Amino acid sequence: MRTLRLLAVGWYYQFKAIARSPFEGLFQVIYPLFFATVAFLMFRAGTDQKTLLYASLGAAVMGMWSATSTTAAGAMQRERWHGTLEALVASPPHFALILLPITLAMSTVGVYCLVATLLFGRFLFGIDLTFEHPLLFALSIVGTVLSFGALGFLFAVTFVRFRAAWALGNLFEYPVWLIGGFLVPLVLLPEWVRPISWALAPTWGMNAIRESSLGGTPLPDLVVCLALGAVYLTIGILVLERVLAAARRRAALSLT
Amino acid sequence: MTSLRIFAVGGLISFRALFHWLAPSIYIPSLVVAPLFQILLFAYIGRSAGLASDEFYVVGNAIQYAAIPCLFAMTNIVGGEKFQQTLGAILVSPAPRLPLFFGRAVPVVVNGAFVAAFALLAGTIVLGVDIPASAIPSLAVVILVAAFSCTGLGLITAALALRVRETAVLTNILFGFLLIFTGANIPLDDLPGWMQNVSDVLPFTHAIAAARELADGASLTSVLDLIGEELLIGLVYAVLGYSLLRFFEIQGRRHATLDRS
Amino acid sequence: MAVVEAIDLKRTYRTSTGTLRRKWKDVEAVRGVSFEIEKGELFGLLGPNGAGKTTTIKMLITLLIPTDGTARVLGYDVVKDAREVRKRIGYVFGGERGVYERLSGWDNLRYFAELYGVPPHEQKKRIESLLELVGLKGREQERTEGYSRGMKQRLHVARGLLHDPPVIFLDEPTIGLDPVGARELRATIASLVDAGKTVLLTTHYMFEADALCDRIAVINKGEIVAHGTPSDLKHGVAEGAVVEVEVFGLPDGTVERVRELGGVRSVSVEEREQAQVLIVQTGADVELTHSILGRLNGANVGRISRREPTLEDAYVALVSEE
Repeated sequence: MRTLRLLAVGWYYQFKAIARSPFEGLFQVIYPLFFATVAFLMFRAGTDQKTLLYASLGAAVMGMWSATSTTAAGAMQRERWHGTLEALVASPPHFALILLPITLAMSTVGVYCLVATLLFGRFLFGIDLTFEHPLLFALSIVGTVLSFGALGFLFAVTFVRFRAAWALGNLFEYPVWLIGGFLVPLVLLPEWVRPISWALAPTWGMNAIRESSLGGTPLPDLVVCLALGAVYLTIGILVLERVLAAARRRAALSLT
Repeated sequence: MTSLRIFAVGGLISFRALFHWLAPSIYIPSLVVAPLFQILLFAYIGRSAGLASDEFYVVGNAIQYAAIPCLFAMTNIVGGEKFQQTLGAILVSPAPRLPLFFGRAVPVVVNGAFVAAFALLAGTIVLGVDIPASAIPSLAVVILVAAFSCTGLGLITAALALRVRETAVLTNILFGFLLIFTGANIPLDDLPGWMQNVSDVLPFTHAIAAARELADGASLTSVLDLIGEELLIGLVYAVLGYSLLRFFEIQGRRHATLDRS
Repeated sequence: MAVVEAIDLKRTYRTSTGTLRRKWKDVEAVRGVSFEIEKGELFGLLGPNGAGKTTTIKMLITLLIPTDGTARVLGYDVVKDAREVRKRIGYVFGGERGVYERLSGWDNLRYFAELYGVPPHEQKKRIESLLELVGLKGREQERTEGYSRGMKQRLHVARGLLHDPPVIFLDEPTIGLDPVGARELRATIASLVDAGKTVLLTTHYMFEADALCDRIAVINKGEIVAHGTPSDLKHGVAEGAVVEVEVFGLPDGTVERVRELGGVRSVSVEEREQAQVLIVQTGADVELTHSILGRLNGANVGRISRREPTLEDAYVALVSEE
């Protein structure tokens, strides 16, 4: 119970801090819109509304992923830069309970991106939104945010040793867009890529969101998405233990 | 003679500064892997949308991506120096400005051209795109001109870096505009009229058009007019950027804003 | 049982220079530091910059693992039982950073209150009383990016006290504060001890340690060079004299030459504006002024004085030993 409270309160304040920063907040929303515009213009050739909605949803989730991938990898670096990393490590809770709210807050910004892209598509390109399963649509978004947060957590702990952690996070922006099947049906990708796609929570989150809007069976996709998120989280916690022990040995916590 | 030395030495220092900032751990993901994935992304989206050929997207994105090294490097040359507080020292030096700033631009142009060229090569190999070998030298010329042109725009962002703090936001937004307006992914004919007007004055638009024709087997002479236009655009940006740099420099000295970061 | 025990703590850093050809160097920041702090004591760790104070304190608050030696807080080992230690200590590191700038002071405290497990129904009350204590009441809703350095420092203090810890570690808490603010902070620290808490304070201000601390350990170059109450340390230099000579342009080798004189305990140089002041601590019954002047190789001399040593001199003597 206390753990949930800790996660919730942590998430709330970290989200407040992130959303108020123009670079981390506003810019995160604007940048993916450029890619969304390209996607809309490319798909506009075919005037099938369903295709355009497909594009809109894909672009919206691209924005969601962007919000996480460009920030999460550098989460610890960001705390170090603020001077708060030491204070966080020196506090009693297990560091995972402190870091996870941070990456969850980062992926929550993705909801702004999603909404902005869908509205953008609606008002500038006339793409009508339909929701076959509205409740599942909302749940899929929440589930995607959670699993993106977990994946971001894994990035944060894995890339913490690298001075340019942010560059490595950025490295995963395009590939996940492509391999997650956001704007490209998986069947178009080479066969050997598909297992990789299936191992990525974003792929399933995308499916869940897409199918709750266009029609299909979103629930199994959502479940797999969350399950993969749990796997990432577990791996992340294991990596974290080792990273923190090494950092305390090497005195790497306050270096900027 | 001194001007030449300033040009050369400044260029060399800028080069080293560039690569200190662009450590391999940043360089390889950002300038080697990312452009290739951008190419793949749009090539596959193109297939998904049932649009133009792979070659269209390979050429377009390979050149467009040069915006990252050209804009970021150029802006950081000023932003980075400002950060290191050496800009003040440089600007009070009697060194003539033209070779100073343009010397620093040369490694940026060369680096940008390399990034685009590598991306083009990698993209054609991975997607199995056929480009006649005879086109390669001409393509090299076009890529160099494209890099020059975008670096010219980079001089403007570098000037703005003297006043604005979040230059990364600015350059990323410019990157986004170049993605849409240069014909990298959307044929210019498919853009509404007002957008085409914007495209005409941006870097890369003419270079990408020229490169596509060359990749289809056209001769260098047939695209000289496009190359010329690209060069001209680059020059205009360079002159504007240089003027802006001098203006802000003088302003900065007058209002003591040079060290504000 | 002592509340804080440091037993032969050692900490060595590996640093590297260069990028292409890396050279590794071992820096011994702390070389065997031992001390004990009893309940309710205000213990001072005094030393110049780079002496190892911050490294020592970081080992005690579980941010650094000692390379050798052990430390215990309230009986818990700082390495093996880090979590238990963290629950029971508060620490205050000063500085401009260390707060979430886009959040208000209140939000910052709420966040850390949650991290430190302050029961939810008590958080509001506790935060309010702490804001009162550190003098930030009325400013808590503003974003901390607008706080002055002193205000941020006070916020750090409030944060360190959120969970009412029995043991508190303060690392140079008054640095960067204006004199009034510093005095208020010292009064607050004294009141904490009066309330029964155990406090470890690091500082490089001798007068601060003298005024506040029950006991002091002087640390220099990673080792404790003196240990005791302020009066103990004063006794160490009570018999003796201090000769101060103002020199314009101290010639090379003067310090070594003066040190060779019989009866000299320590020699140090202080930079003051355009002159250097040669400070020579000597035994009580020796008159060395003439000999010292003789070792100056004819340099221009300003004021010369001979006086009683203070605790400050004791400290200088301890930390300027080669």
